[in-house]
Amino acid sequence: MRSLQSHPLKFTVLLALVWAFVLVLPTMVVASGSGADVTQHSKSAYTGGPPQLENAKGEACIRPSDWMRRNHMDFLKHRRAQTVREGLRIRSESLIKCAECHQSREKFCDQCHNYVGVAPDCFECHSYPK
Amino acid sequence: MTMDRRTVLGLGGVATAGVVLAPGMTLIAAPPPDKTEASSDQRWAMLIDVNKCDSNCTACTKACRQENNVPLFGDPNRDIHWIRKLEIRDKEHRRPSVSLPVMCNHCENPPCAHVCPTQATFIRKDGIVLVDKHRCIGCRYCMLACPYKARSLVYHETSRNEDSNPEVPIRAKGVVEKCNFCVHLVDDGKQPACVQACRNEGKHAMIFGDLNDPQSEISVKIRTVKTQTIRADLGLKPHVHYEGL
Repeated sequence: MRSLQSHPLKFTVLLALVWAFVLVLPTMVVASGSGADVTQHSKSAYTGGPPQLENAKGEACIRPSDWMRRNHMDFLKHRRAQTVREGLRIRSESLIKCAECHQSREKFCDQCHNYVGVAPDCFECHSYPK
Repeated sequence: MTMDRRTVLGLGGVATAGVVLAPGMTLIAAPPPDKTEASSDQRWAMLIDVNKCDSNCTACTKACRQENNVPLFGDPNRDIHWIRKLEIRDKEHRRPSVSLPVMCNHCENPPCAHVCPTQATFIRKDGIVLVDKHRCIGCRYCMLACPYKARSLVYHETSRNEDSNPEVPIRAKGVVEKCNFCVHLVDDGKQPACVQACRNEGKHAMIFGDLNDPQSEISVKIRTVKTQTIRADLGLKPHVHYEGL
C-alpha cells in the first residue's frame, strides 16, 4: 500500500483495470450466450453436406476411386502437359473415356468444384466429350 | 514333340512372309494403337505444288478454319489466319503470277521458339512447332520473330457454336496461335485438314508426309523434283516445301 501511495499513477491504472473488468464481464457473458445461439442456428439451417454424385455408368474407374478423389487434378494436369508437349495420347485413358461413365459434367465435375469453391477453367475452351 | 531352334526360326520366317504385301498396300485401315507418342523417328513436312494451286480455290483455308475453330472477328487487322492464300507477281512481268498457300513453316530452327520467354512455343520431337496455350502469356515476341507472319494473337473472346468442331478447343483471349499441322489428326494417323480438302475439293496440290521415311511420297518427290522453301537464306530450315515457285 505504501508503494502504491508513492506511485499514484500505478494506483489509477489498477483502479481503471478493475472497473473495466467489472463493466466488461457482463457484456462478455451476454455476447458468448448469443454467440452460442448463432452457432446453433447456422447448424440447424445448413442441410447440404458433401455433394452426392450420381452413380457412374461403368464397372470401375481407371484408377482406384479414393486415389482419384485426391489426385485427379495432378493426374489430369500432368497428362495435359505430356499430351501437348510430348504428343502422348493414351486412348484408353483419355477424357473421352471419362465421359463414357461420367456423362454429365454438371452432375459430376461441377458438383464438388462448386462445393469446395474451386473454378478450373478447362471447359472454357475445351468441350466436355459427349 | 519338341521343336529345335531352327524349326522355330523357320516357322517365324514363313509367318513373316505371309503378312508382307506389295509396298504401299495395307490390309485394313487399322485404328491407331492405344498409346502413341511423338517420336524423332518421324519428321513431318509438307510439299505444295504451286503449278497445281488455283488462285480462285480456297478449299484449304476453309477446311482449316472449320477443323480448328479458327475465329473470324470481321476486323482485317485482327482476324486470325492459320493459312493464307498469297498471290506473287513478278514486277517486271517476265513470269506469270503464282498463287500459293502460306502457313507456319515448322522450321527446324524456329525463331519463335527461341525467343519465347515461357517456353510456350516449342518444337516437338517429330518436328511440329506448337504453342502450349496453357503457358502462353500473350507477349507477342514470337509474332515479331516469325519471318512468315504465320502467327496471330486472339484479341477477342470467342464462343462455341453448333458448327464448331468439338474435338478442338475454342480460344482463350490473349494467347498467340498458329498452324499446328492439325496435330490431333496427325497423331491419329490422318492427314491435316488442308491436305485432305486440297485432295478432295481442290487440285491435289498439297502432300503431307514423313521426311525420315525414304519411301514416303513426299520424300520421293523432294528427292526427284526441284523444290524450294521460302526465305531459305535465313537458315531456319523450313519444312513446308514448294514446287514450281
